[in-house]
Amino acid sequence: MGEHRDRDYRVIPPKPRAEVDDELHFHLERRIQQNIANGMSPDEARRAAYERFGDVNDVRDECEQILVEERRAETRRNWFEDLSQDLRFAVRSAVRAPLFSLLAIATLALGVGANAAVFGVVKSVLLNPLPYPNAGRLIRIYTPFRNGNEPHGSLSAGTVSDVRERQHSFSSLGAFRGPRDVVYSGEVPQVLKATWAEPAFFRTLGVSLARGGGFRDEDGLHDTTTVVILSDGAWQRLFGGDPKVIGRVIRLNGLPRTVVGVLPRGFVAPEGAPDFYLPLGMPLFMHDPITVRGSHGFGFVGRLKPGVSQASAQHELATIGDQLERLYPKDNLGIGLAGVPLRDAMVGDTRTPLLILLASAALVLLIMCANLAGALLSRTISRRREFAVRVALGAGRSRLVRQLLTESVLLAVLGGVVGLVLAELGLGLLRGLALTALPSYANLSLDALAIAVMMLLSLIAGVAFGVGPALSVGRADPQQTLREQTRGTSESRRTRRARGVLVAGQIALCVSLLAAAGLLARSLWAMTTAPAGFTADGLLTFTVHLPSPRWTTEDQQSEFYDQFLAKLRALPGVTDAAVASALPMHVDNSNGLFIRTAPWAPNQPVPFILTNVVSEDYFHTLGVPLIEGRTFTTADRPTTGTVMVINKAMADRYWPNGGAVGAQVHIGPPNPTAPWITIVGIVGDVRNDPTSLRADPMMFLPTRQDMSGNQFIVRTARDPLAVAPAVHRLLKELDPTLPITDVATMTSVIGDRYAARRLPVVLMGGFGALALLLASVGVYAMFANMAASREHEFGVRAALGSTRANIAALVLRQGGFWMAIGLGVGAVGVIAAARSLRTQLFGVPEFDPLAIGASVLVLVLCAGVALLGPVRRASRVDPITVLR
Amino acid sequence: MFAKDSGLLQGTVELLVLKTLSWGPMHGYGIASWIESATGDVLRVEEGSLYPALYRMARKGWITAEWGLSENNRRAKYYRLTAEGRKQFREQASGWQRLTAAVNQAIATRNAPSWAR
Repeated sequence: MGEHRDRDYRVIPPKPRAEVDDELHFHLERRIQQNIANGMSPDEARRAAYERFGDVNDVRDECEQILVEERRAETRRNWFEDLSQDLRFAVRSAVRAPLFSLLAIATLALGVGANAAVFGVVKSVLLNPLPYPNAGRLIRIYTPFRNGNEPHGSLSAGTVSDVRERQHSFSSLGAFRGPRDVVYSGEVPQVLKATWAEPAFFRTLGVSLARGGGFRDEDGLHDTTTVVILSDGAWQRLFGGDPKVIGRVIRLNGLPRTVVGVLPRGFVAPEGAPDFYLPLGMPLFMHDPITVRGSHGFGFVGRLKPGVSQASAQHELATIGDQLERLYPKDNLGIGLAGVPLRDAMVGDTRTPLLILLASAALVLLIMCANLAGALLSRTISRRREFAVRVALGAGRSRLVRQLLTESVLLAVLGGVVGLVLAELGLGLLRGLALTALPSYANLSLDALAIAVMMLLSLIAGVAFGVGPALSVGRADPQQTLREQTRGTSESRRTRRARGVLVAGQIALCVSLLAAAGLLARSLWAMTTAPAGFTADGLLTFTVHLPSPRWTTEDQQSEFYDQFLAKLRALPGVTDAAVASALPMHVDNSNGLFIRTAPWAPNQPVPFILTNVVSEDYFHTLGVPLIEGRTFTTADRPTTGTVMVINKAMADRYWPNGGAVGAQVHIGPPNPTAPWITIVGIVGDVRNDPTSLRADPMMFLPTRQDMSGNQFIVRTARDPLAVAPAVHRLLKELDPTLPITDVATMTSVIGDRYAARRLPVVLMGGFGALALLLASVGVYAMFANMAASREHEFGVRAALGSTRANIAALVLRQGGFWMAIGLGVGAVGVIAAARSLRTQLFGVPEFDPLAIGASVLVLVLCAGVALLGPVRRASRVDPITVLR
Repeated sequence: MFAKDSGLLQGTVELLVLKTLSWGPMHGYGIASWIESATGDVLRVEEGSLYPALYRMARKGWITAEWGLSENNRRAKYYRLTAEGRKQFREQASGWQRLTAAVNQAIATRNAPSWAR
């Protein structure tokens, strides 16, 4: 309990038992001697002493126990005392070097923040369980094209029922269709999404309703059953979470439907985010012999029977697919069957970009580590004298190491906490950015696991890079250090090399990351700037939802189009107007193609061609050129011969020697009784897939013969959005019950097509910038320290006649040398990055010289600027001040 | 002398140890001997029971122990008072004196209570 105890030279005390024994033995000896001196015989003296003492064993045991407890308590006390001393000291020394501390904390925070944000995304998309019980047993069934064109083909009604009859792998299977737009007649008509689902669909997913009984098994079997299940979101939005909603009647597309259920909060559809679920019955689709196998559009999910493996289910599906292809070659030729784990189906194309992001975040982390290591190394070197003094004064080495570790851990914890705050901010940004690009079940947030992982990460980084310098302090000889410090020699070759390696490593990592970001950005740029085939500027688009009770028949709808388009054209500022079933770059409907003069051989799969239904002004409004023949006219009516316009890509592929105009074809499910369609014109190509620079073959049908358009396109002379209010007014005059949605400029509609592509580019760009910043700071800090620790040497050199230019060149040469090594090593990283990005690049070569050259240039510039400070400082060394 | 059944309060032993050490550092044997002679051998029973009391006092931070050499050049464990121990001694000594004075006054009085008159 001494107030002046020197903990660094604590003597190891004897074991409690021995100490007690010694003490008691001493007592008894003295008593015996005393007794002898009092005249007793030795035997008698001994007996009397023991008698007077009492039970020696009892006393010894009691004393030993107290002593053991005391020792334990003391160890604990010392540990806490040392810790609080270390912490106080760590805070003091952090405050004494504020620049270093800020640098270390900021570096850690940025690195940890970036990683936590990306980890939050990756975890919520790839790691979090799907919101279904036992989700690992769920399989999504697709009909992939054997030529690889459409891996996620949907099923025909016939295939759904065949799979159901033939399979033995699934305990339950459920089909669905949608989501599709429906008009909900509330106070104002709204366009919402509905999915048609078999009663077995919910059973298969293992979801029980939050309210209501849901669909009965017979609900799908009759056209007359009019029930609906609400999603939790729709229930909240439309009914304010009214608990008495079951049994209420709502109107969808003008038809009354009784609410029979509400889905639980957190339920996510395997596809899309529908507001309503309507009952689906496969038998209704089995009547029409043409559509039963020719018309696709069903999604299918199954739950594996207990004990059945994914692989065996997939094998069984493939076998059934082969059988169906043999049985129904007309419809199923070239189409297989495949099962994909539901998670993979829902994650979709985001997996690769996410893994790339994770890798770049890891690179940022490595750069951060190099930076941190450099900073701690410099700090330790500049504190060598302090440590040497403390060792000389008797501080134990283990104590010093512990002290340094405490300092690193303190910085790590602070950096980690700030990093998590940054990550939370970053995720907030991402939520806005990534909404359309990530699966709908992903809720981007940091949970306990993510926070724990990130804190652990920053602790590991802090401790790992604290240990190195700490151990080197432990090894250093204090005498030599003190002598060297007073003589002022330069830093050792070893530390100089360590700094250089750290700089080179940062440069190498940074250039890889920048090149990757550059390649992705170039790819996005190539995609968005490649000619689309039409003039998007000045176009306004919107959706009017037909049919409605007032415009039901095809004649009525045709009348609506004519009236509305005429009024639109008459608006001031509007030069042209058209209607189509899909906007350019958004065509997703495909039909089989059958050419009258060249029928497909039995072993030839029927090609599926993108199909759009357009009004006669469509091509003119968009600015798509006519190449041959004619486009549609008002003379193309339901009563006249059916006509079609195709694009150049289609003409080139199927009529490479000309003769497309005038050719006759059938489309869709082959119906031999349908009249042949005559191709009357060829128009210029419009790209449909934003990731492909080549245009796909495309067919156009006239709205006057195939009444299915509701996408309006208006060409304006000036700002497209300026005419939007007038458009709203027009429609209200014509029919106030018709809802209008998705009013937007064509450029923004096209921009949405790139949303999924933009996310990785933005994030990679962010990481690139972060890496650049960290690396620049790292280069600056390391060379500034190097220059500072060689100040004495530079002073001597200057005194001996070196010019400022000589000294500047010395520092520059050294910096340039390590940067060159970094770039050399970085070349390997650039190759690896480009290779791993190969599948994500469109329209740019894998080793795009522009992207890679620009990233190297940017890096060299930044590093050069970072070097300027140290070079200036070195060349301004005043020999007199330094040598004095 | 200091056994639990000797009728002596634990606090009494501690007070006597504090008193002994207020003269200066001493080992266990010396403390026991001094207390016995100072109390006129009245408390002369089982010297061994002094030691747990010493260890407990060390645990409470009133005294510290250190090994040193005894007067006849043998290794012995010496106890000394800490600042806290000194404070304890002052408080306990005055407390004891007040207590014994009060008890003495009570048992020596000739004023019978009113119900005895």
